[in-house]
Amino acid sequence: MRKIRLRINGDLYERDVRESKTLLHFLREDVGLTGTKEGCGAGECGACTVFMNGETVNSCLVLAVEADGADLQTIEGETAEDGSLSAVQQAFARHHAVQCGFCTPGMIMTVKDLLQRKPKPTREEVIHGIESNFCRCTGYQQIVEAVLDVTGQLPDSEKEGLKYV
Amino acid sequence: MLHDFAYAAPTAKDEVFSLLAEHGTAAAVLSGGTDLLVNIRSGIARPDYVINLKGVSELAELSFDAGQGLSIGACVTVTKLLADATVRQKYPLLVSAASQLATHQLRNRATIVGNIVTASPCGDMSSPLLCYGAEVELASASGTRTVALQEFITGVKKTVIRPEEIVQRIIVPTTYVGGSGNYLKLKRIKGHDLGVVSVAMLTYATKIRVAIGSAAPTPLLLSEFPIDASAKTIKQAARAAISPIDDVRCTKEYRAFMVEEFIERLLAEVHA
Repeated sequence: MRKIRLRINGDLYERDVRESKTLLHFLREDVGLTGTKEGCGAGECGACTVFMNGETVNSCLVLAVEADGADLQTIEGETAEDGSLSAVQQAFARHHAVQCGFCTPGMIMTVKDLLQRKPKPTREEVIHGIESNFCRCTGYQQIVEAVLDVTGQLPDSEKEGLKYV
Repeated sequence: MLHDFAYAAPTAKDEVFSLLAEHGTAAAVLSGGTDLLVNIRSGIARPDYVINLKGVSELAELSFDAGQGLSIGACVTVTKLLADATVRQKYPLLVSAASQLATHQLRNRATIVGNIVTASPCGDMSSPLLCYGAEVELASASGTRTVALQEFITGVKKTVIRPEEIVQRIIVPTTYVGGSGNYLKLKRIKGHDLGVVSVAMLTYATKIRVAIGSAAPTPLLLSEFPIDASAKTIKQAARAAISPIDDVRCTKEYRAFMVEEFIERLLAEVHA
């Protein structure tokens, strides 16, 4: 066991952790933040994406001990204290960019990161930007629309359809 | 769950070397972790001791010197390389390949040195580094030694690293600075994937340099071509050099076919 200190969604934590524990399992099992999901466990699917010191990482491929001193943000930090959803979360809801919801926390972390780097991504850039995250339900179309909507770029023709969703 | 192992995060190279001398093959060196943790999870690697190099600040250095060239430290991530203005200006072929390596999340952790040390035939950085004539600097308690990248990778996931050594940096000489290049990678899907086959081409003054990935046990550097070499000449040389295999991702015939296709496309860019 080794003592680590880190900040998660603004709060400081000090915990003893097994050297062999991944950051993903630490978040879920030791801290109780189960929003972050384990998909493949091998860096392929992006379900475990979290922010570590301002950059997105696959938390399944980081040891918790490597995060000693780090500043993390997870999906739990995305919602305000009063429970209100972030703009990206609202756009996902409006466009039904969710079906089973398993990929959604990681997908939202990835979209948030993409928008920090590229505030107005083109459709191509959105598609390329979310290639790190697998979704087996939506076919990605609604996710792309949600991102274009939250950046004020959704063509009117596609907004029209929303009325009937 | 991963098997239990001891962990150290030294802050000086000497500590790394003494830990390696003590634990030998029972130790694994951790830099980006994007290969190591996958291998531990799947049981391919079972180290008793994991040594994290990221606390050693000099190993995170990325620098350029007009005499020596580009120095890429063991902990330089793919993202850091991609963000470097000097690299973008002087080594465009590295940028082309690095931007096609895995995903943004993985590029934030994965290191250039790790990509070489893994020594996979499909490692995206091997071919471009071979084109640039890169050298690998190994270090241990008893000193440093430098080997050409061609000699460093000896087989599928095999290198000349000794148990007591680390690769402390890659040195990319200035020989081909000013040249232009591109990297083409065949993937099974439009999103991120391992390269099914890849070709890197670097043109510099009167020369064309070509390296091929996933078409032999090691990445292959072909012998240099004159700038006016025909596609036929380069394809012939490639055909003679490669020894592709059938695997779950592709047949050997299609690999051979796509090597030639990529050579055609890259050469068309050169002459465009």
